[in-house]
Amino acid sequence: MSINGMLTILMYALAPFRWLLIMGLIIIIALHLLTYRRGYKITHHRSRLTNLLALLIGLTAILWIPWLTHSTLGYVATVFDWIALLGAAAATSVMAFIILHPLSYLISFQDKE
Amino acid sequence: MQKSPLLTRRELLKVGSGLSVGSLLPFSGLSASTLRTQAHIVIVGGGAAGMAMVNRLARRLRGGTITLVEPRETHHYQPGWTMVASGIWAAERTTRLNAQFLPRGVKWLRDYADSIDADSKRITLVSGETLEYDFLIVASGIQLNYHLIDGMTPALVGQHGIGSVYAGIEGASRTNQAIQTWLQSGHGRGIFTAAPTPVKCAGAPLKMTFTTLSRLEDTGRRDAFDVDYMAPGASLFSQPWVDEFIKQRFDSQGVNRRHHYRLSAIDPQAKQAEFAFVGPESEFTSHHQLREAEFRRDDQPTVIADYDFLHVVPPMSAHDFVKQSALIAQDGPFRGEWLDVDIHTLQHNRYPEVFGIGDVIGAPINKTAASVKAQAPVVEENLLAVMQGNALPASHSGYTSCPMITGIGKAMLVEFGYADNFAFMPSFPFIDPTEESWAVWVMKDRMLQPAYYAVLEGKA
Repeated sequence: MSINGMLTILMYALAPFRWLLIMGLIIIIALHLLTYRRGYKITHHRSRLTNLLALLIGLTAILWIPWLTHSTLGYVATVFDWIALLGAAAATSVMAFIILHPLSYLISFQDKE
Repeated sequence: MQKSPLLTRRELLKVGSGLSVGSLLPFSGLSASTLRTQAHIVIVGGGAAGMAMVNRLARRLRGGTITLVEPRETHHYQPGWTMVASGIWAAERTTRLNAQFLPRGVKWLRDYADSIDADSKRITLVSGETLEYDFLIVASGIQLNYHLIDGMTPALVGQHGIGSVYAGIEGASRTNQAIQTWLQSGHGRGIFTAAPTPVKCAGAPLKMTFTTLSRLEDTGRRDAFDVDYMAPGASLFSQPWVDEFIKQRFDSQGVNRRHHYRLSAIDPQAKQAEFAFVGPESEFTSHHQLREAEFRRDDQPTVIADYDFLHVVPPMSAHDFVKQSALIAQDGPFRGEWLDVDIHTLQHNRYPEVFGIGDVIGAPINKTAASVKAQAPVVEENLLAVMQGNALPASHSGYTSCPMITGIGKAMLVEFGYADNFAFMPSFPFIDPTEESWAVWVMKDRMLQPAYYAVLEGKA
């Protein structure tokens, strides 16, 4: 399949979630812009709670991602199934971190003020 | 009939005048592989096959006329109908407008084809309009012959416990309601049938059985329901490994398999179905021919079965206007029922200016959207070769694919072709076609529909 073909498939696959994705992206960018203006740097800020929450969200994703796809964890059976599910769970964890980490900075920043 | 010369001198001149010129224009915006032509190409049918060909040819041809004959404004994603009939998808998810996929410059006639005069290269539409073509692509799909089951009409789907995933998107929705009504009754007998002819998406009747089994198990009262599967032949599926797998799975899930029976009549009011025993010596499998006259045999013993839910799979064939034309197969297993094409080149066996693609062709397998994906580039290349008077360069392997749903939430990616008794042809080395998989289910649920639309646009 050509690159163009793959992009077309991806475009159609994401089309129903277009506005959701755009809104999510806007929120993340706005959040990061807001926190960066108040001195946030991803490498400097430490938050154990954020790390734990992001990890938990990723772990629970192993349960709710199959449910979102009209399936159950019991049907995740092949090696490829597990790689795909763990990859999706890891991506969910990263996304949770990207949102929660600047939020935790914002909360601690307000507490300091 | 003798095979006529590929093209007359006049026709060769018609397509050849701009051939080299088109490919030598560096700033024309055309790719080197486009073909200048004055030819008129008619594509009958705007389903998956017809729409894919419209888009591919619109990109490859310059100067000619492409006419699409397709009466419907709405394009249906038919592979999604099993999901709708199983209560997983909303019906709206499977429809788009045909106009969304149609490239500019293509003439779209919103009409049905009424007849094809292959010797005169002329098509007559239901409106009376006639079209003359230089090249013809028959992509008219399949005709559902519910009338060959006495007492059955598509209007019955959704009533009296009758379902049929093939009866259009409304039929798929009503099938879901009929299954739901049966489930809510808390008990009873469901009979799933298969047709004694080739059918589109031959896995669909099996998928409907598996998804309904999932729903029955979810009620927590599986033992209160009886499930029968009535097959006209010895096999349930053309791919031998999958056939054996499904038989074992049916046995382990408490499905009563009965072979060599075809649904011959129904009495909707009494909720009774009549099955004709066609005999173990018959070739009434989904991969062999059964002509209309053979449905009327009086010497076949019949049995009457009561049902609470009945899934009807109608006998299928090419549309009547194809069957009544010279393009229909004259002999062999597809005679009188399907388009007569070479199953590898997809060129008509007697009319070289005619190609066939999709469900309409006479082929042992291949009535799936996945087959269209593999066939479309073959028809494109071979048609362009014929237009240039060249030998046919492309060959179809018979590739077809069926995401065999074995329960709501899991599926097997079954891909195979003509060779080695329908041996597997896996596209992905990391997906085993013999394993049930969640990831394959996700592909069916989320990715195959986008891939289908890419095929329509000629991009996959």
